[in-house]
Amino acid sequence: MSGDGGSHGGPVGGSTGQRRPTIDAGLSTSSSEELVRLGLALDGVTIAHREDPFPVPGTRAEKRTERRIARWFIIAALAGLGFLAAYLFWPYEYASPGSPGSRHLLYQLYTPIIGVLFGLSVFAVGGGTIAYAKNLLPHETAVQERHIGGSAEVDRVTTSAILADSGASSGLGRRSLIKRSAGFGATVLGAGLGVFALGGLVRNPWKGGDHAALWVTPWRSDNGEPVFLRYDAEQLTLARPEDLAAGSIATVFPYKRSWSEEEAHDALYASDSPVMLIRLRPEQAAQVVQRKGQVDFHYGDFYAYSKICTHLGCPASLYEAQTARLLCPCHQSQFDMLEYAKPIFGPATRALPQLHIGVNDEGYFYAKGDFIEPVGPAFWERRS
Amino acid sequence: MLTLGVALLAVGGLYTVFAPQSQTAHAQENLAQKNPTQKNPAQGDPLVRQGEQLYNNACITCHGVNLQGVKDRGPSLIGVGQAAVYFQVSTGRMPATRQEAQIAQKPVSFSPQEIDALGAFVQANGGGPMVPTSSLAGGDPARGGDLFRLNCASCHNFTGRGIALSSGKYAPAIGDVNPQQIYAAMISGPQSMPRFSDRQLTPQDKRDIIAYVQSFTNAPNNPGGYSLGGFGPVPEGVVAWIIGISALVAVTLWIGAKA
Repeated sequence: MSGDGGSHGGPVGGSTGQRRPTIDAGLSTSSSEELVRLGLALDGVTIAHREDPFPVPGTRAEKRTERRIARWFIIAALAGLGFLAAYLFWPYEYASPGSPGSRHLLYQLYTPIIGVLFGLSVFAVGGGTIAYAKNLLPHETAVQERHIGGSAEVDRVTTSAILADSGASSGLGRRSLIKRSAGFGATVLGAGLGVFALGGLVRNPWKGGDHAALWVTPWRSDNGEPVFLRYDAEQLTLARPEDLAAGSIATVFPYKRSWSEEEAHDALYASDSPVMLIRLRPEQAAQVVQRKGQVDFHYGDFYAYSKICTHLGCPASLYEAQTARLLCPCHQSQFDMLEYAKPIFGPATRALPQLHIGVNDEGYFYAKGDFIEPVGPAFWERRS
Repeated sequence: MLTLGVALLAVGGLYTVFAPQSQTAHAQENLAQKNPTQKNPAQGDPLVRQGEQLYNNACITCHGVNLQGVKDRGPSLIGVGQAAVYFQVSTGRMPATRQEAQIAQKPVSFSPQEIDALGAFVQANGGGPMVPTSSLAGGDPARGGDLFRLNCASCHNFTGRGIALSSGKYAPAIGDVNPQQIYAAMISGPQSMPRFSDRQLTPQDKRDIIAYVQSFTNAPNNPGGYSLGGFGPVPEGVVAWIIGISALVAVTLWIGAKA
């Protein structure tokens, strides 16, 4: 090993070098008290004042203090046990206000009970620790000497010389092949890590050309198979005209009979598939203004529009049955259902896309095709 | 003098003969003829007669002598059914005091018996949805919560706090309502609210929704003790930070000061 002086430097360096007591051969025979004093002296620490609160062990006062502190920890243990018991056995399941007995009250107390017991347990552990520190630990004042200003000139000069020497002795300066290959390896590794971290975030929205995700929705059917309108219910329920009373709204989703359970689930939760099926009141249906090219998109009083707001894609579904207006909750855009869901107020500028619907011979609603324009907020490449 | 008396008596007599054939009575006959399937067994029902009296006193100005509605005042009541009457009158929205964007809830003007009478009268003239008399609280508030969030929460918020609609209208906060009123609102679609027919939300669905609504109206479902407006994690987090952190800082300062 090189440099005996270096290895003896220790954490406080040379600052207390002059004061350091000599380490004699009797180190292993010293008592622990002497070793403590030696250690403190090495770090330049002097104990100015130390007072044991109970210099005579086993007095009545000490016992009393111990009991007081133990009380905290016993409270912590009991509260912890209570927390465990409440967590395991308290009736936590929701009980409606009218349920028999006091089940609703017990349910309502569940959260406060476990919260209070757990909090009390943690608090008591803290209280006991603080009480121990304040009452039983010796009260002492210690002084540690710190040097003033920067390191000594000789330390600075020698340290930089040692650093320069280790750099030179490694030989890296003249071995440029190693330098370059190591740099190349590190660069590639770094780039690989960057690609690994960001690669998952990169998507090509145009994958699939004309059938790219931005252009089509799950309402699309390539082979002419009907896409039915279904509700989001526990059991698969297809929408039928007789389901809706005049002046009502339902949110429907696409469903194909050939879909597997997983495909149906994906379509149910796809961000561009929610559609509002609205049945106007008869007197409202009489005044509807159709959009050019979408005159036959409705079925009687039934109109189906995308639920995704054309402003920023929120679910716009606050339907006023009386005025046949639809509101988006995010930025208060309003769409007039009596005029092809045209925006009449707020930041949205395009009408909600309308779904072409019909009823098949079994009496179920189905989509006669995908939306004729992209659903949701605008993007640069939109053609309309 | 005698001739005048005889003439007066004759006019009075003629009046008593013809006057009881009031316009409403005609309307009922006409309605009964128009809807032969809509039996009118209540024609002689004292409840319907009482309802007619109340209607003629309180509602006729805006809803018309034949319940056909008056332009720019009130809509037709033909076919709205007892459910609509029950909801509007028992929440105090009807009779309305003035025309405005939204008729607000206010103290009720009629006794429960009078509300029943009005409902029976409107039901007898054109039929329509009725509030069931059976128990309306369902047994599955969790399922009701799913349905509420799907169908109702877009306007009423998932803890029933309501929201503003267009031009001064609003979806009211669901506060002090009974199950019949919630049920009646769903089947009649009052004011801006859409209707939910029994095929869209089955009676069982509606009962479960009522159970869910009761979980936050009847006995506030606030395990923490205070709902903070029911707006979810944002206000709750703010309060937890402000109160929680302040308390921690205060305790820390106290411990430091005692050391």
